[in-house]
Amino acid sequence: MKLRGIRLENVRRFTDPVAIRGISDGLNILSEPNEAGKSTLFDALRTLFFVPYRSKGKEVQALRPHADGAPEITVTIETDTGTFDIHKRYLSKPAARILRDGMLIAQADAAEDWIAAQISGGDGGPAGLIWVRQGAVDLTGGTPKEQNSALEARRDLLSSVTGEVEAMTGGRRMDAALARARAELRELATRTGTPKAHGPWKIARDRLAHLDERCAELEDTARALYQALDLRKAHRAALAELQDPERIAGRRQRLAEAEAAHAQAERHAQAAETAARAVETATLAFEAAETRHDAIRRARADLTDATRAAQAARSAAGRVTATLAEAEAQARTARIRADEADTAADGARSHHALAQRQLAAREGAAHRSDLARRIEAAEHARRAAEEAEASAATFPDAPALREIEALAARDAAARSARDAAAAQLVVRYDTPQAPRILLHGATLQDGARVTLDRASEIRVDGIASLAFTPAAGTSGPDPVTDAQAALARALSDLGAGDLDDVRRMAECRLDAERRASEARATLKGIAPQGIDALRTALARIPAADPEGETLDPAETAAAFERAEEARLAAQTALGTAREALSATQADAARADAASEAATERLERAEAAVARLGDLSETDAADALDRARGDLARRKTAWETAAADAPDLSATDAALSRARAVEETARTRIATLTPEIATLDERIRRASGDAVEERLAEARQMREAARDTLARIEREVAILQRLQSALETAQDTARDRYFAPVAAELRPLLHLLWPRAELSWAQDTLLPDALIRDGIPEPVEILSGGTQEQIAILVRLAFARMLAKGGRHAPVILDDALVFTDDDRIERMFDALHRQSGAAQIIVLSCRQRAFRDLGGHELRLSPAMDDGAP
Amino acid sequence: MTAFRFIHASDLHLGRGFSTIPQADDGNVRGRLGEARHAALGRLARAARDHGAQHILLAGDTFHTATPSQSLLRQTLSAMGAEGGIDWWLLPGNHDNLRDAEPLWDAIRRDAPANVHPLCDAAPVDLGAEVALLPCPVTHRDPGRDLTEALVHAKTPHGTRRLGLAHGAVTDFAEGRAVIPPDRDQSAGLDYLALGDWHGRLEVSARVQYSGTPEQDRFRHDRRGVCLAVSLPGPGVAPEVEAIETGIFFWQQSELRLGEGADARAALDAILPATDRRDTLLRIAATGWAALPQRADLGAAIDAAAPDFALLELDLRALGTLYDPADLDEIDRGGALRLAADDLHGAACDQALPEAEREIAGAALARLYAYMREIDA
Repeated sequence: MKLRGIRLENVRRFTDPVAIRGISDGLNILSEPNEAGKSTLFDALRTLFFVPYRSKGKEVQALRPHADGAPEITVTIETDTGTFDIHKRYLSKPAARILRDGMLIAQADAAEDWIAAQISGGDGGPAGLIWVRQGAVDLTGGTPKEQNSALEARRDLLSSVTGEVEAMTGGRRMDAALARARAELRELATRTGTPKAHGPWKIARDRLAHLDERCAELEDTARALYQALDLRKAHRAALAELQDPERIAGRRQRLAEAEAAHAQAERHAQAAETAARAVETATLAFEAAETRHDAIRRARADLTDATRAAQAARSAAGRVTATLAEAEAQARTARIRADEADTAADGARSHHALAQRQLAAREGAAHRSDLARRIEAAEHARRAAEEAEASAATFPDAPALREIEALAARDAAARSARDAAAAQLVVRYDTPQAPRILLHGATLQDGARVTLDRASEIRVDGIASLAFTPAAGTSGPDPVTDAQAALARALSDLGAGDLDDVRRMAECRLDAERRASEARATLKGIAPQGIDALRTALARIPAADPEGETLDPAETAAAFERAEEARLAAQTALGTAREALSATQADAARADAASEAATERLERAEAAVARLGDLSETDAADALDRARGDLARRKTAWETAAADAPDLSATDAALSRARAVEETARTRIATLTPEIATLDERIRRASGDAVEERLAEARQMREAARDTLARIEREVAILQRLQSALETAQDTARDRYFAPVAAELRPLLHLLWPRAELSWAQDTLLPDALIRDGIPEPVEILSGGTQEQIAILVRLAFARMLAKGGRHAPVILDDALVFTDDDRIERMFDALHRQSGAAQIIVLSCRQRAFRDLGGHELRLSPAMDDGAP
Repeated sequence: MTAFRFIHASDLHLGRGFSTIPQADDGNVRGRLGEARHAALGRLARAARDHGAQHILLAGDTFHTATPSQSLLRQTLSAMGAEGGIDWWLLPGNHDNLRDAEPLWDAIRRDAPANVHPLCDAAPVDLGAEVALLPCPVTHRDPGRDLTEALVHAKTPHGTRRLGLAHGAVTDFAEGRAVIPPDRDQSAGLDYLALGDWHGRLEVSARVQYSGTPEQDRFRHDRRGVCLAVSLPGPGVAPEVEAIETGIFFWQQSELRLGEGADARAALDAILPATDRRDTLLRIAATGWAALPQRADLGAAIDAAAPDFALLELDLRALGTLYDPADLDEIDRGGALRLAADDLHGAACDQALPEAEREIAGAALARLYAYMREIDA
């Protein structure tokens, strides 16, 4: 079917008939400004083809002219069988007619049937595939009915090319098989192929894991049981052996033998020790005999030597005694002469000294009187200082004063505090004659201010007595009383009446200290080295010589020098004599000492010989020989005893071991018995729990669980394999199903997007994604421009497929490229031209300038003639 | 000398659980299997009375585990004790060996009724009637030696019938274990060697016999459990041995061989027993080849028959699948379903793929086939 002409009358704004004529085979364009009626033309065509003439539906109502009237639409089409006019009138006097060459060939419902046969597919037939309404960019627009019709049309078209879609994709049988496989798999596994929670697969896995754990636990328990059995067997065997009478007797016999051997060894050791002690005694005896023998021998020799020495010493002493007498005589003479010279010299010295004193006395008389005066003044100053210091000590010092002041301040503060807290009584007499007020018996004068800090009695004679009691809360220690008492004690200690007294006393102290200081300064000035130094100096000054004769110091000095020389000579001679005497005396003393020593030695030797008694050297030698022999014998006895002695440490070790064996046996028996009892209980409990039986059962259950799991896993593998095969086959079939339209579409797509492909949805039989560079982009997320371009290209492809099948259907695009940019629109024009060779295309556009370059046959909407034909 | 009669049994495995046996939610096959083992005691006693035997020799593994529960032990001893006039001789086996089951044997020695005799010592026991019982109690789970060797040197009075009782493998039961020489009767001068351990009845020689368990517990032996009624006429004289069926449950294994075009339902019906299904545990190993419809038919037939049985299992691992294009057409002649079927078929037949992948693909295809049958039904 190809459109050749269109006529509208009473359609919206076209009250007067308008027509389009001369629509060509290929690309046609009707480019008019907005509101020229292009969409009206489009809607009118759709209504003519798809809305029955009796319809009063919204499509028809939408065509009602503004000036009212019955919309009339006439389209001239050309088919393989000829040229026909299709005429429909709606609403008022509705009619449908088919005319061929002016001859009516069908009308009313027959006309509708004729139209339906032309568009083969009904409402959405081939034309439904390829009409693109203004702004309808998506592929699946329209009402559900229109969508369904379009789907059926696409299915028809594709099936006519590649076979029935059900035959290709398996249809409901495939869906049922796939649903069954998926449902069965879903019971077992998740989409990712893992066991489904709470599903049989997961349960089987968990059960196997649980049984693995249970078997392990029971195996541990069984192992423990067998270990306990083995241990008990070993313990029982050990206990039986330990309690075996023969073994007990053996142990005891070994112990008795060890004890006997050890006792015997100890006795032998004691005998050996006795022998050793005898050796020691004999050794001592031998050493004593040897010492005695040596002593006798030495004493005899010593006596002989001492006798000879004593004789020689006595002879030498005699000789020295004669020499000494002579030296003593010489010494006595020299002494006499020296004494005489001393006396003469002493006289000369005294004489000269007298002369000296006389001279000094004359020179020191004035100095003496000065010193005496200074001593006196110094003594006076010293006494004055001491008196002042003593006086100062009787008065309080500065710390004492500060303490008193602090106590006075504390007292004052306490009083102030008390006064501040206490009641104040101020007296104001009304008249001078008014009766006087007495406080504690004392009259209060007018204007007196009294602090009432304690219980007080206030009396007005003849009128009243007022008892005042301080407020509660003042009990407890009284700070004022305490402060006063402390101050009074401190003042009393110092003997003062009040603080002023103390201050005066402190000033007296300062005065006394000042005076003492002055006296000390005076004393320092008079006697810097002290009074005693002055006195010493005074004593050094000689007193005046009372003797009357005045001597010449020079003469006395010469006489004194001579006398000293004589005395020196006499002293020298005396020294020489004394030296000689001394040497001789020393010789005599040495001779005497030697003689005495020799005598003493002789006496000692004699005494030593006497102490040795009558024992002769021969007797001592005999005794020594005897002692030696005895020692040798005892040594031999000891050596013999030592050589025969058993090894005491060995017998001790053997005894210890025997005792340890017995003790260990006892301990082991005591330990094993309760251990066996414990094992008995453990074994009884474990065997009573039938561990092996439960283990065998658990193992069997584990084996069954393994089988179950393996069976389920096999089932999962089978279902997964089946599902995969079905899905893969379905994909493959779909690809094959869409291959012809994809092949038709591919060159158009590549005009806009080189190497791009479209993927197809089986349910809609429309593209669902644009694949560029291998990346699928769902159609719904593409831009409006891209979506409308795909919509047009898909329709062009379908139109071409229809045309190739001999079923021409016009592609009518009503302002379909509204979102397409300038670059793409050029390529869309190329696509339109490319397809126009096989399909009739009618482009309605308001974009006159943009579509000026589309090329193609230009159409004009012009007034129609009244013949009713387009 | 009169013949000495006794019952030879073994491997009661009292207390054995059957958790690996699938059990329907409304079934109690595991409980029935356990109870059947206990009831075997009564059947043994009846067999003894029927054959004039006073003694029942249990050649080991009377208990399944070394530490059976108190109730199991007490009920077992009570059941034995209740069989007046019968003496039960219990030999420790590897499951209830002396080491692991020491508390068990202590308890039996302490609590057992007078007619129950634990044989915990490898010492001859005079059974009277000039019969010496020579027990070989198992000391450990794996003693690592042939315990019957001691029988060679076991001394018994001249003219006494020597009756050996032991538990262990003679040969080929398990590698690496010390085995009992099959001619131990000769080397030890035994008139009879009653053996346990092998759950099926096995005659090693005229004088060396395994009784097997009186109540089967596995599929290996393909017959109900038995005990042996043995008669020893006299020293050196061959024993007379008769197997007496004591088992309730029949553990059966069957092979179902299928081929192209075979009627799977009919083939299955042909091998299913007509009677005693309730006491039958049947494991069917399907072999050969089956097309997808046959497989589906077989599965449906098994599902239909299974409730009759104590257990009915179908093992398809050895059953190959034939892929007939017509069967694939049943899934779909074209389109996506056929694509999926072709994909799975290709994978199932692709020898380059690991066997596991092939198997899963084949199962997935069978599943798809079953789906489409149900969907189209």
